[in-house]
Amino acid sequence: MIKHHPKFELLQGFVDGDLPASLAAGIAIHTDMCASCQQKVGQLTEQVAEASFEQSFYHKIMVNNEENLTEIAEMDFDDVINQITASDDVAPTKDFCDERSINFKGMQYTLPSALRNIELGNTVQIGKLSRARLNLGESEIHTNLLHIGPGGSIPEHTHKGFELTLLLAGTFADAQGQYVAGDFIMLDKRDQHQPATEHGCLCYTVANDALHFTQGINKLLNPIGAFIY
Amino acid sequence: MLSVHSVLPSDKANATSNNMTNEINHPELCQWLKSIAIDRDKQAFTQVFRFFAPKIQRIAQSKINSEALAAEVVQDTMSNVWRKAHLFDDSKGAVTTWVYTIMRNVTFDLLRKMKANREDNLSDDIWPLAELANTEEEVFTDHIQSRNLQGIIATLPENQQQVVKGFYFMEMSQEQLAVHLNLPLGTIKSRLRLALGKLKLKLGDHHD
Repeated sequence: MIKHHPKFELLQGFVDGDLPASLAAGIAIHTDMCASCQQKVGQLTEQVAEASFEQSFYHKIMVNNEENLTEIAEMDFDDVINQITASDDVAPTKDFCDERSINFKGMQYTLPSALRNIELGNTVQIGKLSRARLNLGESEIHTNLLHIGPGGSIPEHTHKGFELTLLLAGTFADAQGQYVAGDFIMLDKRDQHQPATEHGCLCYTVANDALHFTQGINKLLNPIGAFIY
Repeated sequence: MLSVHSVLPSDKANATSNNMTNEINHPELCQWLKSIAIDRDKQAFTQVFRFFAPKIQRIAQSKINSEALAAEVVQDTMSNVWRKAHLFDDSKGAVTTWVYTIMRNVTFDLLRKMKANREDNLSDDIWPLAELANTEEEVFTDHIQSRNLQGIIATLPENQQQVVKGFYFMEMSQEQLAVHLNLPLGTIKSRLRLALGKLKLKLGDHHD
């Protein structure tokens, strides 16, 4: 059962459309897998929509405007309305694009629909870790698909920024317990963790700064931090 | 029922004086959207436009901070409303929620184009429109056939198209169609019968 969910503020930002694409896609994937968050997002969207289009909201912003400004605006409206309605185009029902999948070490995974049009980089590997970059162009925010092979782990590390790990398939565990597909794990720079997987797993990860390894010998592994980020 | 005029910005003074209300007239919005979907009704679209456009303009302007780009959001959003009205399904949510989703998605893609210089238009993958997602589940195996069917329906006379689309795609009853199109029930029934006869011919027997 999914135990880790996005905080309310993130759901709110998701509904408002104010999150970067990387985090918005993460929440979309989670809500697709989690009925309770899906319901929350549905209710929130309905409320935000209702509030956005209420008269009072509109009057609040309009209150200082002159009557004639409204008239000018309406004349422009007519042009736009004519332009739009001149088109006979009707949107077809959804394009039934093929599902997109990705291979890691001989395992094939179907990607969530939120990711199907994001540009995908090449897969690179170090040991049991494989990474494919999702090129979203969000400067310091990096988004990856991270595959950890059976028996693999990521050495104990902290973050300088935030790190989202969304488990897409398989399971992994750290000091806090076991995680299953759909778990949405948001860590910030105060947290430390050392996820390990028995049978292998695929994660969607978003981080805004390189991971920083904390334990003695593991400091030697800092290049892996850069690799994962 | 709230009069049409009280929700129009042009009647602001009127609205503030006596029947100022925060309530959105959802059934009316629904009706307008259905008229756009079935009749390509420009009057109904004008009503919907006048209700939403000024609000979308303000919201977009506060997010994007440009009057010109906010106008682009209005145009894109409302043009989607015109092109997708037939996909709206009132059992899945309110018109306001549907239009909000379109507006939010248009704004998101525009901002992404500006900030990340990407034209990947990811919004519809991240926030699929409710009715589209359901279409996928329900008619997935039939979609090629149904697309084909829409082409054939397009060859019917306009008045028969209206009835067929209303009855099969909008799932309106014959009685509802009679009220909606302001025609006697008998006329609806005979148009439907005529249209089905033609469709049968064109689709061939194996479709039964």
